Amino acid sequence: MSKDYKDNAPITAKKFMEEFRRYQKGSVSRRHFMGVTGLGTAMAVMGSAMPGLMSSPAHASGDLGDRLIFSTWPNYHNPANMENFTGDTGVNIQINAFGSNEEMLAKLQAGATGWDVFVPTNYTISNYVELDLIQELDLSRLPNHDPSSQSPMFSNPATVDGKVYAVLKNWGHTGIAYNSAKLSKAPTSWKDFFDMTMGEGSGHTIVHDYQLTTIGGALCALGYSFNSVDAGELAKAEKLLIDSKPHLFAITSDYQPGMRSGDAWMTICWNGDGLQLNNDIPEIKYTLATDGGEIWSDFYCIPKDAEHVDAAYAFINYLLDPKVQVLEFESHGYATGDSRVDALLPPETAENEILFPAAELMNGLEFGAAATLTDPLRAEVIARFKSA
Amino acid sequence: MIMRLYSATVYLFLYVPIGIIVLFSFNSGRHASDFEGLSLKWYGKALDNPFVLESLNTSLIIALSAACLSSLMGTGAALALQRVRGPLKTLFDSLIYISIMIPGIVIGIATLVALVTVFDLLNPMLATLWPEGVKPPKLRLGLASVIAAHTLFTMSLVIVLVRARIAGMDRSLIEASEDLYATPLRTFIQITLPQLFPAILAGFLLSFTFSFDDFIISFFVAGSNTTLPIYVFSSIRRGITPEVNAIGTIVLAVSLTLLIFAQVLLQRRDKR
Amino acid sequence: MANENNRSGLLTGALLAPATAWFLIMLIMPLIVVAIFSFGERSPVGGYVASFTFDQYANLPSRFAAFRNTLTFAPFGTLASLLIAYPLAYFLAVKVSARWKLLLLVLVIVPFWTSLLIRTYAWIFILGGKGIPAMLAFIGIDDVRLINTPFAVMVGIIYGYLPLMVFPIYVSLDKLDKRLLEASSDLGGTPFRSFLQITLPLSMPGMATGCMLVFILLMGEFLIPAFLGGGKIFFVGNALVDLFLQSRNWPFGSAVAIMLVIVMLITVTLYMRLTVGKSTGRDESLM
Repeated sequence: MSKDYKDNAPITAKKFMEEFRRYQKGSVSRRHFMGVTGLGTAMAVMGSAMPGLMSSPAHASGDLGDRLIFSTWPNYHNPANMENFTGDTGVNIQINAFGSNEEMLAKLQAGATGWDVFVPTNYTISNYVELDLIQELDLSRLPNHDPSSQSPMFSNPATVDGKVYAVLKNWGHTGIAYNSAKLSKAPTSWKDFFDMTMGEGSGHTIVHDYQLTTIGGALCALGYSFNSVDAGELAKAEKLLIDSKPHLFAITSDYQPGMRSGDAWMTICWNGDGLQLNNDIPEIKYTLATDGGEIWSDFYCIPKDAEHVDAAYAFINYLLDPKVQVLEFESHGYATGDSRVDALLPPETAENEILFPAAELMNGLEFGAAATLTDPLRAEVIARFKSA
Repeated sequence: MIMRLYSATVYLFLYVPIGIIVLFSFNSGRHASDFEGLSLKWYGKALDNPFVLESLNTSLIIALSAACLSSLMGTGAALALQRVRGPLKTLFDSLIYISIMIPGIVIGIATLVALVTVFDLLNPMLATLWPEGVKPPKLRLGLASVIAAHTLFTMSLVIVLVRARIAGMDRSLIEASEDLYATPLRTFIQITLPQLFPAILAGFLLSFTFSFDDFIISFFVAGSNTTLPIYVFSSIRRGITPEVNAIGTIVLAVSLTLLIFAQVLLQRRDKR
Repeated sequence: MANENNRSGLLTGALLAPATAWFLIMLIMPLIVVAIFSFGERSPVGGYVASFTFDQYANLPSRFAAFRNTLTFAPFGTLASLLIAYPLAYFLAVKVSARWKLLLLVLVIVPFWTSLLIRTYAWIFILGGKGIPAMLAFIGIDDVRLINTPFAVMVGIIYGYLPLMVFPIYVSLDKLDKRLLEASSDLGGTPFRSFLQITLPLSMPGMATGCMLVFILLMGEFLIPAFLGGGKIFFVGNALVDLFLQSRNWPFGSAVAIMLVIVMLITVTLYMRLTVGKSTGRDESLM
């Protein structure tokens, strides 16, 4: 599935990375990079379009109801934006945080979630469409959504069979965060990560409660694909995970509290969380692994049985407002893949190594594959690992 | 003396974590883990948040319903079971036994699986039975399923407590009352019920507490409803803010106020 | 006479009817459905597909550790709670004046009225890096890790279930006729002997109830290991939540649930044989 995204993209992943490398080396300008990669196509349009876009209120009237139930990931939103939206519209937001796509899927499959908006990752959307769990979106109700400003490489999974079911939220990558004050050396690969977990980092490492990244990391450490569903390879990954389990501090996707308190020294980490941690505690660094990892994009979707659809559209539209996205970025540290937003960010953002790591590292990353979401073996491997 | 010291230590153990919850509810910072200064702002936020109030309301409705239902049905069943003998008694004994023994999580899962299956069967039938043009009712998980699932356990709890009390009851008073030709109803109201009352009250309180505090059963069978524990669970998962501490403190303060109120009332009655 | 029997039979039936309905719809029916599911298969996207296979049961050994953890923590947690709760219940029932009794008793149960979740969360602070370990580091004991250890789970268990243990023991001790104790001391019994011969046997039913309640709740525990065990210490409850809410493997989850029920039936029946049978025997002999 992930392959399709790349093939359909006007700019391929490889080309993106090449441009990215040139940009990193400084041989092309930021503007060139943005333009060529599609990150900045709408930049010129923006000047004229912006006033209207920016001032568009989340919704004109108060017929949106008073509530919205929103399921997303930990540390993924600016509380101020949530409060502003409630202030503007009278719609109160209940946020549920989830640690994996599988957990969201399980909830949706059991029915009666009450969710109005949720945030799935690229590889799951085709599954949701197949299972008839999400609505096709009426883009006319999302005036702040501008496909031309988005990098197709990240936004493509939103479209299934020519219909749009999702809009791009952010993109990022999955690497390693570590506390350089506590560890004598920096982990540079998943192999290092697991070696150090069983070595000097024993008792202080966190892995996610999430099959994709945790099994993926172990697979990469063994030299296999992040997305493997091969029984033999998974068996070896399971063994590595179970061997390292006595040395773990925790298995959780909400790893910030552990890292912040100093209990944990190393964790599988999404780059925005890495940036948040690094901003507050400089000795916590984020790095991509040399032996692979995940590149991903997250989306806003509306479940089939959402009860507050009007509020859901207003909320998504509000969050797509570039100014709002800038505030979101300042809080969560994930790139938007939206050139309108990049134009508003301070120029040094583009040079941030946590946001945009060296291209040779980015080249090794894979998008999560749809097959991993429903693969029974991966589900069972992570479950066995946790209950071992 | 040692007893007192010991008890004081246990109370300390019980209340230090609560003290910490209360202290951090006045934290002005956003993170619950770093104390940045005193503020009441999280109380304002919690009380302003309709989801908090709604989940509290939901929890109260569920806990009160479950406690009332189980006290009534449980006491009735316990009294009736006194007169039941033979295989029927064995059957009821084992049902009570099993419903107490089965962990809440299994009840939650079993209820979820069973209700979802039954609803899937019944909903199309309801739809065909309903007249054309009228929207047929749709059975789904909700408050009723939580109350029903809680009541299974709490009712059995009441039965056990009340039966234990019946077993330890002074039968001579009942016999005396019967010797004096009091009607069975009168004997029940004047002799039996007062003797059973502590057990029924204990059962009611335990049922209420269990139901109000239950997370796992509600988590599975509440559908789109949010009880207070479910709200708190998802708050903790999205990175706890002192709002959760404020909610906990409010609940605690309300129960303490009720407690003191009850104590004052009781003492006044005693004086009279 | 026959008429009266009929009436009392009707009354008995009427009193039992709601409880019977409850047992049938909320206990028997769900258990049957779960039993049926446990012989099914997981559909490719998750959920249930009808089938008849023992595969789910054959896969049970993969959750051995979860059963082992549960069967270790549940009895030891119960025992620890009992040892801590008993003196307090005794103090409340026997030593405290009537004036303070109610207040102190309700103070035991008040913590219960703040969510177990929040109270457990408080222990994350206390046992976490900035809590007790920081204090220990201050007096020179470095690098103590308490959170996400079996110790933390045990503390959480005792903290969470202490009130449940105190309450029933208190109820049974409260029935204790103090004249019995006086009589015993009049007859030259030492306090310790009176305790062993009178108080302890009388409190057996309460202890049995308390232990059973705590044990049963611990066998299905999910929150405490999830919060204080860092997702590493899995009870059967955690394995079940995981199977239903992550892996979407309803048939295997059903098999694990059935297995848990069977384990409970065996352990609790054994336990009842050992304790309750004995204590009621004593009870009767006292009468």
